[in-house]
Amino acid sequence: MTSLLDFLSCVADTAGVDNRLRVLRAEREWSQAELAERLGVSRQTVNAIETGKYDPSLPLAFQIARLFAQRIEDVFFPDGKPEVRP
Amino acid sequence: MNSAPASPDAPRPRLVLSFLVPAAFVGAYFAARMGLETVEPGSRAAIALALLPVPFFAFLIHAYTRAVRGMDELERRIQLEALAFAFPVGLLVAFTAGLLELAGFPGKGNWDLPRLWPLLLLPYWFGLVRSRRRYA
Repeated sequence: MTSLLDFLSCVADTAGVDNRLRVLRAEREWSQAELAERLGVSRQTVNAIETGKYDPSLPLAFQIARLFAQRIEDVFFPDGKPEVRP
Repeated sequence: MNSAPASPDAPRPRLVLSFLVPAAFVGAYFAARMGLETVEPGSRAAIALALLPVPFFAFLIHAYTRAVRGMDELERRIQLEALAFAFPVGLLVAFTAGLLELAGFPGKGNWDLPRLWPLLLLPYWFGLVRSRRRYA
């Protein structure tokens, strides 16, 4: 239920969101605390990244992308929208 | 930046930092102040008492540095922002109080450093709260 609510709030907040972390986390039904533990950071850090209040360092961004088996540019979008693959 | 998982015993250094180490320093500081009132100024005992809090504060710095190394990257940023706010504000308070004292306000000797330094912690705590709220 929490994951669904997270997913819906993420969809509602699409404008201005510069990463897909909340969606990827919701797909795996992980809580913020679970993801934080897997990444070795605090839950506050995961929340701040998801809400766009904090941009992770490059090593952490790569770690996040690796954890979700994605390319880094498929998780983080500098211009606010996903890169279109050719 | 190190984002390795925190060790299982991570809460212990945090407890030491947040309570025991500052408490030891404050205890040593007030012991020194009380002791200095009972010994002759300029004596070896007075100098020893004046330096009594130094090792405790050195340990506080060591504990704080260790705690910062154990933090994740966001918490380090929060600490940096708090310190970046507190340091100039602390300087501002110190030199303004010094100048006001020279100007005779609010009474000579009321704003000397031994009385002023606890106030210098306030900008750090304020900066910490402000920065934590920004990323909450």
